[in-house]
Amino acid sequence: MTVTLWPMASEIEVKTPAGLLATESAADRANRFTKDAMQFTNQLYSAALRYTKNAHDAQDLVQDTYAKAFTSFHQFEPGTNLKAWLYRILTTTFINTYRKDQRRPQISDGEIEDWQIAESASHTSDQGKSAEDEVLENMPDGDVKSALEEIPEEFRLAVYYADVEGYSYKEIADILGIPSGTMMSRLHRGRKLLRELLVAYAKDRGYAKGFDESGKKSGSTSAEGGES
Amino acid sequence: MSCGQHHQTSCQDVLNAMIFFIDKEISDSNQLMAIEVHFQECLPCLHEMEHERKVINQMKKLLTTSCNENAPEDLHARIAAQTALLAAQMSAPTQFVTEYRQTQTTVITDENGSVVIEETHIQIQSTNELGEFGKDFPLS
Repeated sequence: MTVTLWPMASEIEVKTPAGLLATESAADRANRFTKDAMQFTNQLYSAALRYTKNAHDAQDLVQDTYAKAFTSFHQFEPGTNLKAWLYRILTTTFINTYRKDQRRPQISDGEIEDWQIAESASHTSDQGKSAEDEVLENMPDGDVKSALEEIPEEFRLAVYYADVEGYSYKEIADILGIPSGTMMSRLHRGRKLLRELLVAYAKDRGYAKGFDESGKKSGSTSAEGGES
Repeated sequence: MSCGQHHQTSCQDVLNAMIFFIDKEISDSNQLMAIEVHFQECLPCLHEMEHERKVINQMKKLLTTSCNENAPEDLHARIAAQTALLAAQMSAPTQFVTEYRQTQTTVITDENGSVVIEETHIQIQSTNELGEFGKDFPLS
């Protein structure tokens, strides 16, 4: 007689190879990320609005940025500028996701050599100076925001990172992933365009005094009155 | 373009470099000093720079007050939930090995009444991937 006894249940063991465990546990990473990176959500959102120009896409862009930042958080070097690192991810995320299928004309950087401030490189009259000051002092917030939206994206972002975030030329070039020279020309052209737009707005609403019909500062030629 | 007087550094050079001076981007100390000396000697250039700096500062102030939108509350919540989810996926094993072990015990009784016990061990091992979780996200 042969009796075969099977165990009541099979023993099942699940093993996780030791090599798959990261040096920092996921929970520790999440804590560090929450403490260090999440404080910038409002600033990232504000910057994202400059990229997408609408609230819905800006929210998605910020959320995607945080997902990418979390999964590559081990690549961030502690002690370096975390906010600038997040802005860099924001930029690449925007380019990869939101701009992928868009056929949009790119600003040619070849033609940007004229940033040389040709127009402002002269001694402006005091009258012209005070007229410009007056325009800016009376400028409503909404107008500034619309003017910023109107200038090309490349210029807008350079101006935003320089004049709102206060980054250096080098830092902005890194965030935008462009050469320093390109970044400088975009910043200077962007500021110039923005100023021109604000003056145009002011003229439209009738609160610009001291500007002539062409929108130029009156008496804006040099003290010498000649071009050299 | 010149203010009519002779300077070590020309008005044109100073006016062209003015924006870098205002943005504090001139790292060459000799160049910086040359510009500062020029401003001491040349009032038109000094006024031009001060006006330009004032306008840029006004623009900064306007931009900063206009562009300080707060993220909506639910975006903060979505990001917190997303982080928790990603962390949970990351801590889950990315690969698991399942081992099945069974022992077959055979009891044989022969005609003499003696008992022989035979044990057969069966072991099956299978390895499965859980997915792509925990992979590094490439930062282009």
